[in-house]
Amino acid sequence: MKPPEPITTTKDGRQRFRSDETKTLALNDPFAWLKRITVAGDACAWNRFVGGVLLALVVLLFLSGAFLAFYYSPVPGAAYDSVDFTLFSAPFGSILKGVHHYAWNLLLVLAIFHLARTFVAGAYRKPRQLTWISGVAILGLLPLFIITGDLLPWDQRGYWSTQVRMSIIASIPFAGDMAVRILQGGALTGIVALTRFYVLHILFLPCLLALLLAVHFYFVARHGFAERLNGKQAADHPIAFFPRVVNRWLVLFIVTVSLIALLTYYWPSPLGDPADPTDSTYVPKPEWWVLFLNQLVAIFKGKWAVLGTAVIPGLLTLFLVGLPYLDRSPGNRPAQRKTVIVAAALLAAVMIVLSLMGYFEHFGLPRQ
Amino acid sequence: MHRQSLKRIYWMVLLMLLAVLLMNGTVFGASKQVLEAAKVKAAPAGLEDAIWNEATAIQVPFEGKESFAGQKAVVATKAVYTDEAVYFLFKWKDPTLSVVKEAWQFDGEKWSHQKGNEDRISLLFEINRINNFATKGCAIVCHVPQGAPNAKDGKFGTTTAAEKGDLWHWKAARSDPAGVADDTWLTQISDKEGGRKSDAGKGGDQKNMTEDKSAPKYMLAPGKSLAKNDILLAAHSVEIPAGTVFKAGDMLTYRMPKTAEGSRGDIKAESRYAGGGWTVMLHRSLDTDNEDDVAFNTRRKYNFAMALFDDSGDENSYDSEVLTLEFK
Repeated sequence: MKPPEPITTTKDGRQRFRSDETKTLALNDPFAWLKRITVAGDACAWNRFVGGVLLALVVLLFLSGAFLAFYYSPVPGAAYDSVDFTLFSAPFGSILKGVHHYAWNLLLVLAIFHLARTFVAGAYRKPRQLTWISGVAILGLLPLFIITGDLLPWDQRGYWSTQVRMSIIASIPFAGDMAVRILQGGALTGIVALTRFYVLHILFLPCLLALLLAVHFYFVARHGFAERLNGKQAADHPIAFFPRVVNRWLVLFIVTVSLIALLTYYWPSPLGDPADPTDSTYVPKPEWWVLFLNQLVAIFKGKWAVLGTAVIPGLLTLFLVGLPYLDRSPGNRPAQRKTVIVAAALLAAVMIVLSLMGYFEHFGLPRQ
Repeated sequence: MHRQSLKRIYWMVLLMLLAVLLMNGTVFGASKQVLEAAKVKAAPAGLEDAIWNEATAIQVPFEGKESFAGQKAVVATKAVYTDEAVYFLFKWKDPTLSVVKEAWQFDGEKWSHQKGNEDRISLLFEINRINNFATKGCAIVCHVPQGAPNAKDGKFGTTTAAEKGDLWHWKAARSDPAGVADDTWLTQISDKEGGRKSDAGKGGDQKNMTEDKSAPKYMLAPGKSLAKNDILLAAHSVEIPAGTVFKAGDMLTYRMPKTAEGSRGDIKAESRYAGGGWTVMLHRSLDTDNEDDVAFNTRRKYNFAMALFDDSGDENSYDSEVLTLEFK
């Protein structure tokens, strides 16, 4: 079969083909189809590895999560025993559980970094508004994975952290109570809540994430990469998606797996004491990513609590989503977007200060 | 902004975020006392071996229960481990050495039991998870009143058969002279039966008394000697020959420690009473491969609780809060 000819070539060198020919080739010879896809040369630039690592981490989480699901039993008590068994008795269970634990945290860290870099580069601006919004949606989805996943081991930290989160959600006006009842299946965190969190964690949220990733990649492919931070245009030579970009992703996957496996070997994934719903003396400590929100809840109390639990986080989300339409700066370079850069820097500073305050409050050295 | 400045910011932010990731491992809640078992190359040769200096002692507080209510005790506790075994060292103040355990005394005409019990320390680990043991310790283990029909086996146990505990029971009079701590385990308590069981094998102690319970039946066998604190071991005893003459003040052990064999003899003990206090070392294989023993995996943490008995029976004790054993 004669290979189809491109009908056009984009500014950054990528070739476009007739869509019906592409579909036929994708079905008849997927490798030939893959080999024909070209992407901007910047896809393999040294400083553009974060997106690839994020993809590697998502794949890693899906795979390690599937392994953990083989052993997991979503019943209070038995859930703890099954995680304990996975950690200490199942072959490679400790490594895979650790990989799952650290990969989530690394994913969140790098997703924040990815977002920050995209912001600094001005890559949220026209024509990449939907690339940005889908990215923000992905970032917003990640804490939901952590929140639902935290309860699954049925240990003290997960159980009591869930109590705190549920009470925060319940304080949201109008929808709070209903949201808690839908999430937990009732007022108490028991077997129904555990089952729902499990189903959300392994079914609904992964499907939603896969969908959002597909949307995100579609817009990345459609609108290409943003200008480099140094102001130069993206590399003008196109490169083959397969095998070049795929190989790079595989290398990133192997490196990421190896590093996280080493990390988990020396610092195994923590498993606390089994959950004891009668032990009200247990005070859960917030994770790093929620310290600033926790501090907001601590600052705004009583009738003002809604500011910390709903209004400020809601405004922050709206700001991120609406940023492409709010920013009227004359250009994409940071120097041309001083107002937005300064506003974001102030916002980031407030979040860091709140996080540090929360850190010292919860993890500071105990008083002698 | 200059390219170099942006690059610098890029890496600084990335490193800060990765540092945050490492902080995540420290997220824990309520604090329990943690006993860190130090890894050592050679097993401690005894109570005073310098290798014990490699472990950090924790001071475990105990609260008195029943007639000891309101009183407190403290046990300095250390642990070390090798590739094969784990070793515990306990030190506590006790002004009186109590090893009588109702020993027989002859007054010139008849035998009678002396008043007095023994000093003891016990540890309870989980073999299989005991519901809420991690937060409530021994308090969660079912206790039944003294004299109840199911108190025969030691008046306590677990609520379900799936929950199993490993009870290490060092007794100054009934196990220590034989060089062991009694190795027992806990299972479900029922209306008729207690939940405390002896591990498989032989051990424990043998009552030294005649059929009518009025006098001792055994004495020291010729060529044998009494064990520590003048305790008569069952293995060193012989039936008192007819016509044996005793003089007033003669004493004989009532509860003779038996030689421990099999799973029941897994926990070896060494002790010394000096200067108004006990020093006790207990050690056991990390994994005995016995179903009635907790198997220690050095990568995980174990909850355990302790009880202390000062010249007292099960009705009076000092109990510790639940602790965590961690292998470093």
